[in-house]
Amino acid sequence: MAGHPRQLTGRGAAGAALALLPLLFLGVAFFWPLWDVLRLGLQIDGRWTGERLQAALSDPYVRRLILFTLEQAALSALLSLGLGFPLGWFLTRYRFPGRRLLRAFTIVPFVLPSITVALGFVLFFGRSGHLNRFLMALFGLGEPPIRVLYTLWAVVLAHAFYNAPVVARFVNAAWERADPTPVEAARTLGARPLRAFLTVTLPLLVPAVLSALALVFVLCTLSFSIPLALGGARYATVEVGVYLYTRGVVASFPRAAALAILTLGLSLVLTYLHLWGGGMFSARQGGVRLGSTVPLFTREKPRRALWLLYLLPAAVVFLGPIGAVIADSFLHPAPGGASPTLHWYRMIASPAWNPFIESSPLAAVRTSLLVGGGATALSLVLGLSVSAVLRRVRSRVLETVLMAPLAVSSVVLGLALLLAFRRPPLSALRGGWAIVLAHTLIVYPFVVRAIRPLWDALDPALSEAARTLGASPFATFRTVTLPLLGSGVLAAGAFAFALSLGEMTAVAMLSGPGAMTMPMAIYHFLGSRDFGAASAMATVLMVTTALAAWAWDRAGSRWLKRDGALAVSRPTAENQAVPGDA
Amino acid sequence: MKRFIGSVAALALATSAVAAEQFVVYASRSFVRWGPAAAIEQAFEAAHPGVDLVWVAPAGAAEMLSRLIAELSAGRTDADVFLGITAGSLPRALAEGVFRPFDPDLIPNLAFIPEDLRVDPSNHVLPFDHGYIAFVASPALSEDLLPRSFTDLLRPELGGKIILQDPRTSETGLAFLLWTVAHFGDSWPQYWRALLPNLLTITRGWTEAFAMFEAGEAPLVLSYSTDAAYAYLTVGEAKYRVLTLDGEGYRLIEGLGIVRTTRRADLAHALIDIVLSPEIQELIPTSQWMFPVHSGVALPPDFARLAVVPEHPVFLDPGEVAQHLDDWISQWQAILGN
Repeated sequence: MAGHPRQLTGRGAAGAALALLPLLFLGVAFFWPLWDVLRLGLQIDGRWTGERLQAALSDPYVRRLILFTLEQAALSALLSLGLGFPLGWFLTRYRFPGRRLLRAFTIVPFVLPSITVALGFVLFFGRSGHLNRFLMALFGLGEPPIRVLYTLWAVVLAHAFYNAPVVARFVNAAWERADPTPVEAARTLGARPLRAFLTVTLPLLVPAVLSALALVFVLCTLSFSIPLALGGARYATVEVGVYLYTRGVVASFPRAAALAILTLGLSLVLTYLHLWGGGMFSARQGGVRLGSTVPLFTREKPRRALWLLYLLPAAVVFLGPIGAVIADSFLHPAPGGASPTLHWYRMIASPAWNPFIESSPLAAVRTSLLVGGGATALSLVLGLSVSAVLRRVRSRVLETVLMAPLAVSSVVLGLALLLAFRRPPLSALRGGWAIVLAHTLIVYPFVVRAIRPLWDALDPALSEAARTLGASPFATFRTVTLPLLGSGVLAAGAFAFALSLGEMTAVAMLSGPGAMTMPMAIYHFLGSRDFGAASAMATVLMVTTALAAWAWDRAGSRWLKRDGALAVSRPTAENQAVPGDA
Repeated sequence: MKRFIGSVAALALATSAVAAEQFVVYASRSFVRWGPAAAIEQAFEAAHPGVDLVWVAPAGAAEMLSRLIAELSAGRTDADVFLGITAGSLPRALAEGVFRPFDPDLIPNLAFIPEDLRVDPSNHVLPFDHGYIAFVASPALSEDLLPRSFTDLLRPELGGKIILQDPRTSETGLAFLLWTVAHFGDSWPQYWRALLPNLLTITRGWTEAFAMFEAGEAPLVLSYSTDAAYAYLTVGEAKYRVLTLDGEGYRLIEGLGIVRTTRRADLAHALIDIVLSPEIQELIPTSQWMFPVHSGVALPPDFARLAVVPEHPVFLDPGEVAQHLDDWISQWQAILGN
């Protein structure tokens, strides 16, 4: 805990000055742009009115968008539970070689760029995709048997791909932390394993499951790239609707703003519900033994056949699309059969202008790295200063204000910045900056979440000693606090970088000539059906993101080892994905 | 403002000094992918050394136009010329003041364009090619299932076998919506409702729809009446069947115009004259797979033989489109949800 949370005397001026920096930044880059959206959606000729909202709500198309958004989110959450719960069970119950690796693998979806997953689904589940070709050859079929693409189920399945591991981690974490004594007691008292599971273990897991479901529901409600790429015109979510109203034939910023306000309301409600659910989860978990990995059941004969029934389809769903992307990036399709090639990699290393991605592929890679670097640097500065402010001034109102971007979906943020970059002062900046600002706003709340517990866990005596010895507050921060936070900051930075690399929602709203990032280039390649180029770029993007995620994991665990605290361990990582690009 | 498309300078990182002056053309993805874009670029750059023609074409024409309108209202666009506008979008573009009027005297080749193709009497947009929307079937569809009428398209055997384009983002998609309006009048929404179960998907643009069709994802696609000619002249076999519905085909005239804010109106006129020149117009049939607008250009014999001209071309009056489009799109969106 911080030593003196309320001790403002003598530090009030410094505190106020410190708070000024993030407030100024958020004011210009977030609140003012958001105000533009509100004004556009709620004002007609300078008069405040709900007419546009009413018009939107009475439009059957908008109502259908909202209904479909909730429907697919609910289905996605349920399917994620169906796929993820057994995985959580599997990870908890069985020891087997590669268990740690498999568990580490469940972190992948947090950082895997969703457009690469969408691409993988097209390549793998398409009518002429790998799976159908394989099954047709195997069983000598004339028609492709799997017809999941272009249906609602493509969207739901892709969401489950993303979120089943989330469920698995929640279940696994809760289960490992659950106190084994009640189950042992039940078994001693003669309950059969199934009965012990249903009456003792399951109730213990319910809060974790509910919490995971709530999170997945929020993520899928705000999801954008997957319904955009897989849903076609018929399966569009509200977020996609906002995008279409800024880009389609009936493009109308006021309508887009009205729809954005609706989704803003939706995401506020959902974020609140999720926080409430999360609170319930941690309240119920309080006091149980942490970190115990004692198996809940004694190991009777493992039902291998049963697991195969789960693991085989799970492997198809999880590995198939990713494998398809990587495989196709090295293949040259030809009528007689594909041949291996590096052509696609040479193509995406090309500095030549490509009209379809309105950039050269190489420039897109460079822009992604630059945007990621810029957003990481800015979000670290912003995250550290917000953390510093919140340490000094423990005010719920201030915290809500300083963390507000967390509750705003990326599409709304994109629209807000799109509008803001049309007027001073931001109009002085070129398009690429809009993306950097958007990513900073998306990412810095996670930096704050990662850093605050670390900072709180530091021994205040150290910085107090430095101050006593005459160091200025900033010198103290630079020479004492920052090095102590060290690898925690590094981990947060790596995570921020990974998130920025894969983010496509805000980019879709803001991209243009000179501001083309890798995910958007993949989307355009997908649109012009240049699958080889799309796959090669997706592979590069996945590898880069994976490296950043690996650095995040390493830096994070180094910190853990050194200080032995659990403050930023995996359970917080779970919460880190809230407004991300599911 | 200096242009620095495609350079990292977008992030204000200093490398904004681009050697050649860039002249930017926004076009539909299909035109740059299929059409004579490379030949136009070559001819243009040969005539104007030191100028670099840059194509920007990440989407269908309708979506590109929306983007141009948004950029113009924000006060900055890189586009000098827009290529690919059709009659369906023309009223919107004119209302938004996207184009500046061209000077006919600076475009000598204009003299060879027949009057009936000049859809814009206000001289903001000129045609560069024209053709007809039609359904195209692959050999995978059996002979007895080939749809010859709007009613045939509703046959249950065609369930999930048709690929359409989104009228909000694609010019062909928009043309089909207008076609159903022209054919059915006020009862077009009923037809669409009945058609929905037969759709595999509705894509954002024509390019992905046609690529999906060619990859065998579905045997029927909304495309152009020239696709049999395309198949014959590219793979030596007229494997695709062009299907007019009830003898109808919706007429599509593609045009181009000079963006209001360009600083190089001289280059824009020069570019238009190149696009309308016989050398480029000759390439239209076998690259863009449309009919040329230049009256002095003869069609390649195989193209003339295989490109279908519907008995009853359909074309909705732009004034009517302007008046109702918003409403039609709203209704169309509402149908989608059912």
